[in-house]
Amino acid sequence: MENTFTDPALWHRIHFGFTITYHYLFPQLTMGLAWFMVYWKWRALRTGDEKYNRAARFWARIFGLNFAVGVVTGIPMEFQFGTNWAAFSKYSGAIIGQTLAMEGMFAFFLESAFIGAFIWGERRLGPRTHFLTAVAVATGSWLSGFFILVTNAFMQHPVGYALAPNGTLELVDVGAFLLNPWALVQYAHNQCAALVTGSFVISALGAFYALRGRHSEQASVYLKTGTLVGLVASLLVAFPTGDSQAKMVGAYQPATLASMEGLFHGERLADVSMIGQPNVSQQRLENPIGLPGALSFLAYGTFQSYVRGLDEFPKDEGPDNIELVYYAFHLMITLGTIFILVMAWANWKRWRGRLESSTALLWVLMLAFPFPYIATSLGWMTAEMGRQPWLIHGLFRTNNGYSQVVSSGDTIFTLIGFVGLYFVLGLLFLYLTGREIYKGPDGAHGAPGHQEVPV
Amino acid sequence: MIALWYGILAFMLTTYIVLDGRNFGVGILHWIVARNQDERRQVIAAIGPLWSWHEVWLVGTGGVMVMAFPRLMSASFSGCYLALMLILWCLLLRGISIEVGGHLSDRLWQEFWDAVFSNVLLAVLFAAALGNVGRGVPLNTEGTFYLPFFTNFGIRGNVGLLDWYTVPVALFGVLTLTAHGATYLTMKTVGPVHDRSVKLARGLWLAVIPAFVIITVLTWFVRPELLAGIAVRPVTWATMLIGIAGTYAVVNGFRYQREYQALLGSTFVLFGILMTGAAALFPVVLFSTTDPNLRLTAADCAAPDYSLGIAAAWWFPALILAVCYLVIIQRHYSGKVNVSKDNQGLY
Repeated sequence: MENTFTDPALWHRIHFGFTITYHYLFPQLTMGLAWFMVYWKWRALRTGDEKYNRAARFWARIFGLNFAVGVVTGIPMEFQFGTNWAAFSKYSGAIIGQTLAMEGMFAFFLESAFIGAFIWGERRLGPRTHFLTAVAVATGSWLSGFFILVTNAFMQHPVGYALAPNGTLELVDVGAFLLNPWALVQYAHNQCAALVTGSFVISALGAFYALRGRHSEQASVYLKTGTLVGLVASLLVAFPTGDSQAKMVGAYQPATLASMEGLFHGERLADVSMIGQPNVSQQRLENPIGLPGALSFLAYGTFQSYVRGLDEFPKDEGPDNIELVYYAFHLMITLGTIFILVMAWANWKRWRGRLESSTALLWVLMLAFPFPYIATSLGWMTAEMGRQPWLIHGLFRTNNGYSQVVSSGDTIFTLIGFVGLYFVLGLLFLYLTGREIYKGPDGAHGAPGHQEVPV
Repeated sequence: MIALWYGILAFMLTTYIVLDGRNFGVGILHWIVARNQDERRQVIAAIGPLWSWHEVWLVGTGGVMVMAFPRLMSASFSGCYLALMLILWCLLLRGISIEVGGHLSDRLWQEFWDAVFSNVLLAVLFAAALGNVGRGVPLNTEGTFYLPFFTNFGIRGNVGLLDWYTVPVALFGVLTLTAHGATYLTMKTVGPVHDRSVKLARGLWLAVIPAFVIITVLTWFVRPELLAGIAVRPVTWATMLIGIAGTYAVVNGFRYQREYQALLGSTFVLFGILMTGAAALFPVVLFSTTDPNLRLTAADCAAPDYSLGIAAAWWFPALILAVCYLVIIQRHYSGKVNVSKDNQGLY
């Protein structure tokens, strides 16, 4: 149970945690940008206004880079189920394999068939077909997210299964498995968060061009679409999706909820802590400043509801890293609140017709884009570390899930390899994206009638 | 149901190797058939737009494997840990090299990514892995194993990934995939690249014939069960027929300069060899080199019938959809590569 450096489970967890966190930086933007491009292509079709086509074309190039990194970092994720988590795959493969295989067959085939045509085929395909390729790519990326979220939801809240005679899990109700209530709520929450990332990135670039006084027509398109979607998505992330997610945790993972809030002792009128540092050995929250009763209300609907504390759960049935779960959750909430405020400010300025001239706002928007990435990563840390010590909640422990035959030496070796490769990959991505941004949407690329020298 | 899913798994893996194998082959030949920047761009553009569609077959294969044969996936993936990780890193670098190579019109930048692209390791590793399936792995009583890269190069007992059987298989794989890739290039390219590819493809296919005989003889020594399986199982006759038809098409295609026919033939040859191997293997999925009784059969590894039934209900529609996408999209990529009109500057 003790996670020391000699424990192979720890290294397998770090291995998966690192590769998945890094990987997810890219798909969230893919999913976040995809519908923006569909929207711009649609506007261009309807109005014939070339600026929308230029916007779609420019973002398609950034999308393409982002997509490529998402693909190459995504393949290791599926492989790791077998390489690093062999016991888990053997135990639950009959169930989670369904969605992993569906993702490949339904989502990736769709996405990868049309991505090339979407990014490089505009001139060959004509506007209508090109619009449809954008829809195909967006649909594919969102489908892929759905299948992964169903897989994760099974680990959070297993449904539709039975224990087979040979001790592994078997699927007994595919409908229940695919429509797991946890999956639907988590999917809604996650996709809204992806839109928050997309809209902040788009707004940030709009703000950057506006501040530099370059590409002002494009900057205006990005700022207008970005801040409007940004406000709606930021609100939806919090309510109703985030709220339902918290209620779901309260209902099915009460020990996790207690860790998220640092609630060591159960009580009525339980606080949502605004500030405070959990002290696990002393079993208390230090320097607490909280909203009285808010947790009871948020989790169970009335201020008088009783919320169970960590002392009511056996130590080996709740999260093994209470502090990290607590901070991950609280930082996510704080950032989420700031996103709403920033986007509300932007939309107020927009209503006053001063969206593109308010320097302070533009600076804030420009610098804000990394924070949605941080918030989504923290959200996933809350979900995944909050699920501990279970790999499948209530059924199967993380410590029983890793590959027994793989030594820590192997895991550490490949972890080092991934860190090194992903570092280089990150530099490459930033460099190439930076180059696209520097060239800008009105640059050489693909403007009609213009032929770039083929290289 | 188990046999059906074994067939689907074999079909998907084979399709992956046939499709992406030609990209491996192109990668290996890259520096030989293309002598300057323009020619190399032409080669990359030949595989450019669809490489990720090919790679998806590998992802799909992995998904189907964990769904239908969880125990096989868990035993083999963890058992070949280092080899698989190496494959992942190579795939990552390969994908990136295709994507970013054309982004800068700078000679050093492109030469660097072209060099990364010409990666022979992928063909070696995949072929060696198949060699291991034929030879068997050191399964223990729990049905797991761990395979280092090499031990004493023997084929029994405590084997490694590479030994005196799997190394020739790996070389055979490299040779065949290179021939396959060269055949693909004859269809997609023009000018000097095309002429060099034709010459190479002819030579390589000629070399494949004796190599194939050698591998068959070696296999007969190492794993006689496989050849016995061919003799008694009628489905292998059908797959062998595909291979033979493919050989005929390759020969004919090169004789009459029907490039499309040659590629189709070369696809069938590979398909025939791999599917024959898979059919001969059944019902075993992993032989044991330590104790013949420890082998794993498809039934040992399969998921319960309900899972397999559900999956069969969605897999076939999904495949039809996937083929539709390809048909829609292929029209736009068919014919010779034309670097200048093909795209908006990339590749």
